[in-house]
Amino acid sequence: MSNLKTLAGLTATVAVVLIGWSCDARRNAVAPTVGRPLFHFHVFECSPLKITGGGRIDYPPGTAEKNPPASHIYETFGAHVIASGRVDANGICLADKGELEWVDHRPEMEINGHPLNLHATSVTFAELATDTDCSDGAAHWGGKLRVQNTGQEDLDFEVWDCDNGEPGVGHDGFGIAVPAIGYEVMCPDPSLPPAEPSCTLTGGNRQFHPTH
Amino acid sequence: MKIDSIRRAVRSVGLILPLTWSGSALGQMQAGANAQSYGVAVTTATLNQKSPSAVLQVGGMMAVDRASDVTVAELVTAQDAFAIVSGGGTDGSDAVSSATLGTVSILNGLITADGVVAMASTTADNSNAEGSSLANLVVNGVQLSDPAPNTRVDLPGVGYVVLNEQIATAGGITVNMIHVVLQQSVLGGYQTTGSIVVGSASSSVN
Repeated sequence: MSNLKTLAGLTATVAVVLIGWSCDARRNAVAPTVGRPLFHFHVFECSPLKITGGGRIDYPPGTAEKNPPASHIYETFGAHVIASGRVDANGICLADKGELEWVDHRPEMEINGHPLNLHATSVTFAELATDTDCSDGAAHWGGKLRVQNTGQEDLDFEVWDCDNGEPGVGHDGFGIAVPAIGYEVMCPDPSLPPAEPSCTLTGGNRQFHPTH
Repeated sequence: MKIDSIRRAVRSVGLILPLTWSGSALGQMQAGANAQSYGVAVTTATLNQKSPSAVLQVGGMMAVDRASDVTVAELVTAQDAFAIVSGGGTDGSDAVSSATLGTVSILNGLITADGVVAMASTTADNSNAEGSSLANLVVNGVQLSDPAPNTRVDLPGVGYVVLNEQIATAGGITVNMIHVVLQQSVLGGYQTTGSIVVGSASSSVN
């Protein structure tokens, strides 16, 4: 019995050390460049993270106020990402998994008479943003997506994801860029250093989940 | 003496930590995020149809369904319908659902709209239908803009419609942007014969 207790104690100690080691931030890791400078969220660390939820943005302008419904100027989406803080040989913070479904309802964005619909085929990177005004947590993540309307595939995308308290509407933010097709829904505000490109949600919620 | 104290401390950690892990895991299993949404649902004596429809699986994080065109008999036509639901996975602490549609016509144009958004969001402390909207809504020839929650409009000879219907549920909310209740008159009153819902989103955390 005494040996069993000693074994249990040792196992727990090793587990604690391993968890502590696994939580160490690797601050030099960065996301891959996908065609534009990362001039918004400035400081990142490669740490475990998880963000879930979905919502609505009324962009432009992307503020907390809804546009008149008849304008059809809004975007809706669902998105999540999970990362465990792994870094590859190139210093890229790897995502474990994620999904993105994005619909842009603006008439001028229609393709063949249907709303622009973006669907992530893989989520490859995710890094914790540590210098934002997002009170509960923020991340910069992305991967590859397909334009459902046209079948264009393997297009790089990146998002800026912000949980800024509850409720999500009027507080949380989300922004997306797909450089290959010149598409972006981003709302940088120079008056809020560091400028954050995420647009304010007019519906829904982004939820940053503590990982430890 | 010191070594004995350290050994006692290590044993305590070894025995107590697993208990806290179990408790945490149990808590996660008990919490649950629920979300579902759909574009169009019709229920009558002869029809029971829902499309597109997304339901968050237990412990799931997202589900999506879409349909370019939805036609249900002579009752509803709708274009560009998307149903998206998302949740916190095993954490079960948050859920968001949405249903969006483009042009909609119900009962041969008795009700029309050209942009429907139903959105429901729930966290541990809050549920709301913010983000929901109706664009260019016309009911029985009358244009209605931005109807307040649970606005009822009678439809003579058909029944009635509830616009921006918001229903508190256990740990969450359901919003039906257009809910037509089909009725027929019977002796002494009316009998419900079916329903048409366009743009429905539900979310809850239990």
